[in-house]
Amino acid sequence: MEKRVPEHKHSFWYYWGGICLFLFLVQVLTGVLLMVYYRPGPDAYDSVRQITYEIQFGWLIRSLHAWSANLMIFAVFVHMFSVFFMKAYRNPREFGWWTGLGLLGLCMVFGFSGYLLPMDELAFFATRVGLAIPETIPGMSHIISAVLRGGPEVSSATLQRFFALHVVVLPALFAPLLGIHLWLVQKHGNAMPPSEEAKPASERKSILFFPNFALRDMAVWLVVLNVLALLAVFSPWQLDAQADALKSAPVGIHPEWYFMSQFEALKLLGRVITGTLGEIVGIGMFTLALAMWALVPLFDTRTAGGRRARQTTYFGLLILIALIALTIIGYLEVA
Amino acid sequence: MNYPIWDVPILGSGLVIAMIAIFHVFISHFAVGGGFYLPMTEALALRKGRKDWMVVLKKHAKFFLILTGVFGALTGVGIWFAIGNASPEGTSTLIHYWVFAWGIEWVVFLVELSSIAAYYYLWNRVSDSLHLQLGWFYGITAWLSLFLINGILTFMLTPSQAWLDAVGSGQETFAFWSAFFNPTFWPSLLVRTLICISMAGVFALVSASRINGVQQPELKTEMTLWARRWLLPAFILLPVAMFWYLSEVPPAQRALLSLGVSTVGPGLFTVLTRMALVFVISSFATVAAVYLFTSQRNATGFGLGSALTVAAMAYLTIGSMEMLREMLRKPYVISQHMFSNGVRKSAIASINQKGYLATTIWVRPEERARWAADDEAATHGAPRVPDSARGELIFRGECMACHTMDGYRSMRKLLKGRDRKGISNMLNVLHDYREDSPYRVFMPPLVGTQSEVEALADYLTVKVAEKPAK
Amino acid sequence: MSEAPQDSGQESSISRRVFVRTGIAAAGACYAAALGYPIYQYLAAAAQKAEVEASVKEVVLNDVDKLPAPAALMFKFSGRPAMLIRHTDGTWTALSAVCTHLGCTVQFDPGKDLITCACHGGVYNPTTGGNISGPPPKPLTLFHVVVNQGKAVISRA
Repeated sequence: MEKRVPEHKHSFWYYWGGICLFLFLVQVLTGVLLMVYYRPGPDAYDSVRQITYEIQFGWLIRSLHAWSANLMIFAVFVHMFSVFFMKAYRNPREFGWWTGLGLLGLCMVFGFSGYLLPMDELAFFATRVGLAIPETIPGMSHIISAVLRGGPEVSSATLQRFFALHVVVLPALFAPLLGIHLWLVQKHGNAMPPSEEAKPASERKSILFFPNFALRDMAVWLVVLNVLALLAVFSPWQLDAQADALKSAPVGIHPEWYFMSQFEALKLLGRVITGTLGEIVGIGMFTLALAMWALVPLFDTRTAGGRRARQTTYFGLLILIALIALTIIGYLEVA
Repeated sequence: MNYPIWDVPILGSGLVIAMIAIFHVFISHFAVGGGFYLPMTEALALRKGRKDWMVVLKKHAKFFLILTGVFGALTGVGIWFAIGNASPEGTSTLIHYWVFAWGIEWVVFLVELSSIAAYYYLWNRVSDSLHLQLGWFYGITAWLSLFLINGILTFMLTPSQAWLDAVGSGQETFAFWSAFFNPTFWPSLLVRTLICISMAGVFALVSASRINGVQQPELKTEMTLWARRWLLPAFILLPVAMFWYLSEVPPAQRALLSLGVSTVGPGLFTVLTRMALVFVISSFATVAAVYLFTSQRNATGFGLGSALTVAAMAYLTIGSMEMLREMLRKPYVISQHMFSNGVRKSAIASINQKGYLATTIWVRPEERARWAADDEAATHGAPRVPDSARGELIFRGECMACHTMDGYRSMRKLLKGRDRKGISNMLNVLHDYREDSPYRVFMPPLVGTQSEVEALADYLTVKVAEKPAK
Repeated sequence: MSEAPQDSGQESSISRRVFVRTGIAAAGACYAAALGYPIYQYLAAAAQKAEVEASVKEVVLNDVDKLPAPAALMFKFSGRPAMLIRHTDGTWTALSAVCTHLGCTVQFDPGKDLITCACHGGVYNPTTGGNISGPPPKPLTLFHVVVNQGKAVISRA
């Protein structure tokens, strides 16, 4: 076990992958515990009500699960952007980047599918709005109705398949992908930022992964546990009224924060290009940006030169600022 | 209602006290613990002839002097300002009954601050043995100041039967010693002393983290490992001390713990057990994190960032411990004597008869005359005139000590969806204060005449129907 | 984990090390128990609930023919408050007296022939237990009641 971790002024970012892993483990543990009392189907709302208000410490398990979900997606974004700006996608780590993007996608679907499970007003309407967006693509409407939603409306049928997705399908896809991702990190080690690579080998510092960095990793996990505990305690998750399909959507309904930027971008675009065309252009632009993001390792290679490196960094900054700005604007608009 | 009301929007006056006081405890417990850390480390350094340790210690002493002298004193006085504004009746009671103890405390402060100044400024200017004695002198006086405030603070939770029997008789000072050495005094002293020792370690780690690990690796390793040992006593003994403390808390207050032990209702009374959970997790995690960050091979790499992270976690632990302690005392500010809103238990009957607003001086004569006329008319069977303005005064006096309208313990949120009849029913349950009232464990009785209770219902109905001011 | 540098006396250092290690292990165990306690209680909640429910199968109340009509008799079923109502038309209703809003004990108002809750103004139907007005979200649970010669046998519906 001679693996070493580079130590330099950007070493702080090396912890974030581990933070994602820790939060995922919290999700698995609390998720399994929730499954002990959760009843998918017409009884879903009541089972979540019992967990939150009747079963001893049910509120704690649920709050931990909900907060950890949010923190995990936040950590995944921090991890992804820090990897991006440190150019850790470069050869030989391209597959680490691609498996990571796959994991991010699965995380977002985890979040979206889990959100519906309590079947309260918020969950119901957020899911309805969320599923309505891809429907605008010609041809998608039938697929969404038949496969995802299980009918023309979000219903108990939707709930059952979202539950199967959340608890069986997604974990079955996530686990091997995560395994590959972690194995690749072990194989290639932590990447050094270009500034560090430029230094002569004698000037570079590193510490042993085991036990030094591993112990520090554990300490960081304890800090994250504290943050989670604080959030669960100060802001435990409550339950809205039960979903009622006949009610009109509450004013200002919006998806969770990690979908807010896409949601807002589509809204803004829809004001410039109205109707179905606007939606298609919007979704098309996302797909294009996503493709560019994924193909970055092939563009900004080690040998490509400084110009491409700089352009990629600017691209990353642009995306980061756009995501943050759109999220903020989105919240300002619904307030 | 004899004092003006301190209206702090969103946070509420109580949370202002909390923010200032928790920061004060964070600093002051370092001040006491450091009072032992400094002379002990100096003694160790002298015995081993380590001049390099003394260099680090002097820097640490300067850091100590400025941090505790400035921020400790500032926030200590800040607490006085905050409690005086938030709870004038309670503060007035504490001053009246503890004048002698406060006097001793301020003498101790004077001696304490003078001795730490002397300790720092006479460094290398007096003999080693005298300097060391100065350090110990400071440590002992610092601990004495903790000893004294601990008596007054624990009195608020367990004032002792002797004092409760004597209060109002004019003979309260005869119960001084019972009240001071009350049931929770000794366990609380143990808990706080353990925290002081830990805080000494936490801040010593900050100083140790600033030693350059490349230039002085052995020194840094030694000082880091020495500092982290100071966290051990608390880690081992705190579970015992907390158990002892909780066993001395009266059963009526312990009922608050079991109230919130497992489920989260729409109210915030369950914050108590939640804080207990954070406290357990944080204290355990802080110590574990320290040991993981500073393991034998790592100590030279222990940077300021890590040290500050540990300090932040210690802050969290202290914050949750203090909130836990405060929640245990609800609904009283002085257990079994004075409720959080300043109403004395002994005055309930007379206030219910004469009226809550009867004695306040902050009411115009025209208003008072109008109320008297309305009440008179009501006794002759005239229909009630809704009086939100009168209700607002009741709210400010009796409810705002703990509730804000739209922020902390939001009154609007708690009463959401209720109509006037529902609100009036609930207020009457609070007013009747029966044994089986579900509110009794954590709320004071609503005191006042029936027309005052109905006026409050008028006010709250208007507020609940309004949109919150955003 | 190492001790402070240059310890005096190897012997005392070894036993001190053992003491400290034991102390840490014990404290660690305490903390682990404190964290494991919520998880255990959470998992045990269902069994505890079932135990409570199974423990009482039926309650027998004597001399209920002395109850005027309309009036209610409060009693305990499975440790929770319950009420037996005698209606003017000679029928009987037995139901849970725990308000479905926040758990206060409800009361029967014979003048209005309604069940009300003093805490927040909930109102229920005294024959069906249905929630009529106010905050209660669900009806009161009905029990099965058979009255025979002054003896009421109340069991789960």
